[in-house]
Amino acid sequence: MLELSGISKTYAKSAVKAVDDLSITVKDGEIFGFLGPNGAGKTTTIKVLIGVLCADSGTARVDGIDIAADPLGAKRRIGYVTDNPELFARLKASEYLNFVGDIYGVDTATRQARVAEYASLFDIKDALGGSIGSFSHGMKQKLLVVASLLPDPQNWVLDEPMVGLDPRAAFALKETMRSRAAAGKTVFFSTHVMEVAEKLCDRLSIINKGRIVFTGTLEELKEMQGADGSLESLFLELVDEQAEAGA
Amino acid sequence: MSVFWSLVKLYVKSFYNLPGKKSPGTIAGSRPGLKPALKAVGVGALAILAVGNFAYLFVMLNLNLYQGLSMIGLQGLLVLNAAVMATMLTLVVGFMTALSTYFLNDMELQLLSMPIQPRALFAAKFVAVYISEAAFSLFFMTTAMVIFGLKEGPNPLFYLWGTLAALLLPLPALAACYMIQIPLLSLSRFLKNKRTIMIIAGVLGLVFGLAFNLYFQKMMPPVADPAARASAAAGPDSLVSRIGQAYPPALLAWRAMSDPVSPGALVAMLELVAACAIGPALAAFFLSGAYARSLVGFNESHVRKLSRSGAGAFIARRIRAGNPFLALVKREFDMMNREPMYLLNGPFIIILMPVIFGIMFVVQKDTLFSDPDLAGLRALFDGGLGAVIAGLAGAFLGSGTSIACTAVSRDAKALPFMKSLPVKPSSYMMAKLGHALAFGFFGSAIGVGLVAVAMRLGAGAVLSGGAVALSLSSLFNMLGLWLDTANPRLSWDNPIAAMKQNPNAVIAMLGAMALLGGSGWLSFRFSLGPGAFALWFGAVPAGAFAALLAAYPRYAEKRVAVMEG
Ligand SMILES: Nc1ncnc2c1ncn2[C@@H]1O[C@H](COP(=O)(O)OP(=O)(O)OP(=O)(O)O)[C@@H](O)[C@H]1O
Ligand SMILES: [Mg+2]
Repeated sequence: MLELSGISKTYAKSAVKAVDDLSITVKDGEIFGFLGPNGAGKTTTIKVLIGVLCADSGTARVDGIDIAADPLGAKRRIGYVTDNPELFARLKASEYLNFVGDIYGVDTATRQARVAEYASLFDIKDALGGSIGSFSHGMKQKLLVVASLLPDPQNWVLDEPMVGLDPRAAFALKETMRSRAAAGKTVFFSTHVMEVAEKLCDRLSIINKGRIVFTGTLEELKEMQGADGSLESLFLELVDEQAEAGA
Repeated sequence: MSVFWSLVKLYVKSFYNLPGKKSPGTIAGSRPGLKPALKAVGVGALAILAVGNFAYLFVMLNLNLYQGLSMIGLQGLLVLNAAVMATMLTLVVGFMTALSTYFLNDMELQLLSMPIQPRALFAAKFVAVYISEAAFSLFFMTTAMVIFGLKEGPNPLFYLWGTLAALLLPLPALAACYMIQIPLLSLSRFLKNKRTIMIIAGVLGLVFGLAFNLYFQKMMPPVADPAARASAAAGPDSLVSRIGQAYPPALLAWRAMSDPVSPGALVAMLELVAACAIGPALAAFFLSGAYARSLVGFNESHVRKLSRSGAGAFIARRIRAGNPFLALVKREFDMMNREPMYLLNGPFIIILMPVIFGIMFVVQKDTLFSDPDLAGLRALFDGGLGAVIAGLAGAFLGSGTSIACTAVSRDAKALPFMKSLPVKPSSYMMAKLGHALAFGFFGSAIGVGLVAVAMRLGAGAVLSGGAVALSLSSLFNMLGLWLDTANPRLSWDNPIAAMKQNPNAVIAMLGAMALLGGSGWLSFRFSLGPGAFALWFGAVPAGAFAALLAAYPRYAEKRVAVMEG
């Protein structure tokens, strides 16, 4: 379970509030989508949630553990897929997987089984010996996904996970999300594509300019009715309305 | 703005990581606090101290030379020497900078996709690299000019010519660097392994710089040697003409500066401009195309695909559990050693410096060991000087890798990811310290070992020198890491900005040199024996290291928590 309550964050280097009094609760067994246009504050929110950034105010809890009070305990319960796969170009894929496995304390047998399972699911098994720098964007993305699943985390947090994935990999990712939710685990992901959220989420939040403009199920969202009845236009309306209100 | 100047601006910003204009949004509500101001003052003071020390070193060097030369009426050679030194510095430092900035990852790819003339691309990079070399050269020339100016009171034109010469002299040297690098890196298109080629080029460049260095050392009269002094005095023309033949630009600069008001000076300066322009012009004319071509496919790397059955075996063999802390340390090693820019400017120093000094030693062996009072020297070595030299050499190598003082800055891109892991920030930072200390140990061992062999030191001196080297280098590495934790450089788009152009690296290097110089002077001044030396410069720094080490984890926790990578 992931709980954010009253989170506000302003980056030290800028005076703009990237996230403003934001509260979200993601329950166990739920796939939760986090929607918003570019620069809305999705990545910032996720970074606060996983303990990479300190919030100015508010609390973030992971399975009831306050991440500020017990960062290690909270972080052990999270698998995180960053939105920037261009990180460890000089490492080999296998070295990266071992690094993550060592940090989360995954034993050899479990580790080998999970690498074999997920690497073949995401079709990067043949590339495990290669250096990450020689991977395509999608391959890097898939490696990050595989690595994040190594510790079999209770909470899976993904920042723009669909970007750069081919249809097969996107399908495999969605299936993995569904099966994890079905097993009572939490899945939280950000996207700016309404269609992805529509097909996948149990519940979703829409964020714009650092503020939540909607939280609820798809049905609740549909009841609000967009101009032409599509969720896409509804999403755009929500985001525009807020922009006008803010102006 | 022309394409060329836009490129120069882009490269300069990226190399030296100049802060951009603050966006208008930042002014509102962001009152400059007291703490950042204090921090800026602290770092500024450190920087001034470090640069000041370096200036002091140069001034002392030139002052000594002046005194030696003026005894035989050849003080004018001071300027010639400065011109030669400025060139040599550019050769060695500039070669590394040019190589490190040869290819700038994705940014360079973006540029390659644009309709830019190869000549503009090359010339812009040349200019961007040249700027730091010119600054270095000017710094060195200025110290020489100030000494000479104070002592001799030359015509003001002297300073004008000197400044111009300092700005011109790095040009041919830098052109020579590119004339070596471009063909070499073009070759690698066939060899298909840029990383190895980068390292080979690095070694070659150093050998080249060294050869040049040695060449001049043989030319210059050893000031301390009365016989050589006399022979130089007897035939100054022959010496000067020898240097002139070896490197005409230095001679031209000297000619203009030694008689600044004569028309001959103007002629010499004009000749100097021409001589210095030829190299860059030739390089830009003939090598621009090859340069641009060598960038294409620069980041290709060898891809290994596993077969279906091979993958299973690979997983069984390679995917294995290990200790979390060691995983952190191993990551530090890999991230540094596999980036040629970091390797060449960092750990490589440990191998490089002994090679430089080794060659110098071999060349100057005759003058060192033909000394009639070798016996007296022997006694000095055994009386403690040997331990001091060994200890300081080891400490210098052990702290010269820039690993600790750039540890956080280099890792800026990965910082958010690292912070998302269930790792205590203190263990993460301790892994960085461990990495630095491992190389500190190697460096100390190599430094002490080489000095011990060269001077045939006894066991006592080796032990004392070793203890001092280890404890001083550990202390310097700890201080360097502290510095980079307090004031890391977190936003850059070119890895070299985190390493060579990182003020922390410069401060740490110059600071270590100053402290080592001071320690050497103190131990010589009080003629410390090996035991006393080990106590004052071994045990005391070890104590300071222990105290800092004890305080560091809490500080690191606090700092890492607020870093916004
Ligand atoms: N390191 C940083 N320093 C200062 N400001 C930042 C930083 N990172 C993000 N911001 C600002 O915070 C705001 C929110 O950015 P954020 O990255 O959270 O958006 P996002 O919703 O993830 O966008 P995208 O869909 O493009 O990924 C933006 O205004 C951005 O300019
Ligand atoms: Mg984002």
